[in-house]
Amino acid sequence: MKKLITILAISLVSLLHAEDPLQFRNDSAAVANDISFSHFAVFLEGGEIYPIGDLMDAVKNALYGGIGIRYTYWDNVDGVVMFQYTYFKPNVNTDIDGVHQFMGRVGADWKWKPIHPVVLGGGFTCSWTHADSDDKNWGKPGGTLTDNETEFGWYARISLPVFKYKEYSLGFNVMWEHLWTLPESSNMLSAGITLERSIW
Amino acid sequence: MISSLKKRFVSILAISACSVFASIDAEMEGMEVVSRDDGTFLIGSPTFYFDRALGAGGIHSESELWTPRKLRYRLLFNRMSVLPSWNPIEAPSIWMKTGNELGDLIYQDFLTDAKERPANRTPILEGGFRTPLFHGLWATFRLFQDDFNCFRSSYGVRERQVDGFFSFFGENWPMFSSAYGGLGFTNDFIDVSVLAGMEYMWIFTESSRWIPIQYKPRVEARADFGNFSTTLVYENAQYQNKQKKETGERTEVNGSIIYKCGESCRRGMLQLSAGFAFRFVGDEGTVYTGLASDRVLWPFLEMNVRPQEHLKFDVMFGINNRDWLVQDSVEYNIPVLEKMNVSIGAKNISGTRLNPIADTHEFFDGDTISLTASGHMDLLQGFVRFEDSLTNFLGFGLRGSFWAEYGAETFDVDEYVDEKIYTFRHGDVARINSWIKGVTGEFWLKLWLKDLFNFTALTGFERIDGSEKRFEVNPAEFFVAFNADWLIKKMFRISHSIRYRSDAQWNLRSRDPFVVKGDWFWDATFEQRFPKWGLSLTGTIIQALGKDAIETPNGEFSRLRFFCTAKKAF
Repeated sequence: MKKLITILAISLVSLLHAEDPLQFRNDSAAVANDISFSHFAVFLEGGEIYPIGDLMDAVKNALYGGIGIRYTYWDNVDGVVMFQYTYFKPNVNTDIDGVHQFMGRVGADWKWKPIHPVVLGGGFTCSWTHADSDDKNWGKPGGTLTDNETEFGWYARISLPVFKYKEYSLGFNVMWEHLWTLPESSNMLSAGITLERSIW
Repeated sequence: MISSLKKRFVSILAISACSVFASIDAEMEGMEVVSRDDGTFLIGSPTFYFDRALGAGGIHSESELWTPRKLRYRLLFNRMSVLPSWNPIEAPSIWMKTGNELGDLIYQDFLTDAKERPANRTPILEGGFRTPLFHGLWATFRLFQDDFNCFRSSYGVRERQVDGFFSFFGENWPMFSSAYGGLGFTNDFIDVSVLAGMEYMWIFTESSRWIPIQYKPRVEARADFGNFSTTLVYENAQYQNKQKKETGERTEVNGSIIYKCGESCRRGMLQLSAGFAFRFVGDEGTVYTGLASDRVLWPFLEMNVRPQEHLKFDVMFGINNRDWLVQDSVEYNIPVLEKMNVSIGAKNISGTRLNPIADTHEFFDGDTISLTASGHMDLLQGFVRFEDSLTNFLGFGLRGSFWAEYGAETFDVDEYVDEKIYTFRHGDVARINSWIKGVTGEFWLKLWLKDLFNFTALTGFERIDGSEKRFEVNPAEFFVAFNADWLIKKMFRISHSIRYRSDAQWNLRSRDPFVVKGDWFWDATFEQRFPKWGLSLTGTIIQALGKDAIETPNGEFSRLRFFCTAKKAF
């Protein structure tokens, strides 16, 4: 009963003090329960991105590269943050040589035991684009890309670590990415190799 | 007996702890209204919205009503608004937020004809910090700008009124862009701060114009000591209309002081608070609004009486040479029905003006629009409320009310004029000198499991009648909402809210009524918490179901949007 009162009191207090969204750090039970960052790793990643569906008519396949971090969130779940870069060449007749694209992703990897060592992951993604062109002609195909354009979406991926040596590991991953663009949403598939180093 | 009391306490606590609304993160402090549909919440821009809860009674927007609770809100024309908030973030922390309305083209542009392109989508941005205490001293900085609800009128309309981009970042002419920094000192006896900054803002007025104002600088000092809270603000507000070659400047000093009931007083039967708010303005050149006598002094008194355990009276009374305003309520928890938590009550709002500290005139193309009406309004409401738990994981409640209002504030339109995408109006603020009557009913059901799960289903209806039916806004008559929060392993939070609101209608800001169609809305927040590290990462999607719609005359599209926030406590 005391525990219930405490929990409810904490809930009530947190509601009343909604202006402090970090109030949960004062919940001793939550702090004791927190094993996040008990393991921490950095990784390099590279591969190729393939536009899917209509998008195949818009841009060509492109190589990408990036860095990321992986940290323990729960026993069987890691948190992942990734930053990647790619350069897409248009697949249409336009003055734009290509488009710089930076991607930021925040998500989680689920180490589900029945399919070990395969890891399932997913999260939110954000793509920032800027055309490699000084000509700000909005009327031409890709004209809006001559300004900064940003779009969010989600990703899902499968990772397979295949080689481990001391604190290093090497693996493959395949990722499906869905951006909430208009007039149609945009889908891409990417396949890459990840080299990861465990820091602690 | 003690066990029964304890059970009762737990039940009440449990019901209270289940928020009526899921904890959807607001896109910005003060924009919680975007995720509310328990009434009529119509968003024109971050700096203008109509907000009226279904059971509130009367036909005014809540933000139009002055109360002592809003002493540190911002006065945006005649509305009291949290946004753009100059409340220093309380926790020593660093934070960053970014997001965008969804629907940019990206590579779809290569496949889409230029004439078929959807309108540009616009972002949101915030960053800031507050340092930990150093011998009681702290520093803070905050830059925030909301480009949502702004694009339709940016190019070719508002851009022509101002010099430059009228914001700290980007080329979207957002409705506000604000930055401030400052120092504070906090110990057991005093909490004092001085903030200084600059701000760009577009204010919506009674004529339905968006008026650009640049605060350069704005300085706000606050001091809380003992039972006193004081605020002093200096603003140098610059007005312009580049097309008409008009410029103006308002120098304003405003603030408030309030003496709040102390600790021993709060335990007593009678609790008294008193204070006053003030504004002094000096206008030069073309300033589009005016304050009679260039000043307003607004003394007020608050009184809470608890003559017995089950009975409470709350009264607020303010008066000055121009206006008076009374807000009072009484609530009685019926002892014979104590086990069922049944209470009955009444509230009353009477006064010459809902917001007695706001400007009194607006100047529009040679016309002076009076923002005050002769006479006064009276709003009376009676209600009955019942709330109980059926088990230790299920509760429900209902509330019914009847209200009647005489002399409600409205607008007498003399003439409409069109300019580009806008319709403006000439006329004066007036009163509806007949009774408007309303009846409301709300029902809610709550389900919770410790702090793991918390679900609320609620619905409400309202029927308004009277000889006059063309109010500024005819509110929505019906809503239903399903809200839920999950907190998994005390670390991962999912909050979501799915809601339906029926049609609402603006009557007086265009020749024909402006109908805001009813719609379903779905919002969700996903949060990774790191309690040990005081770290939080959130992603929030707003209006995933609702159609992109303009919800206020001369307003902007309210669109599907996504934003993410990172916060780290020091």
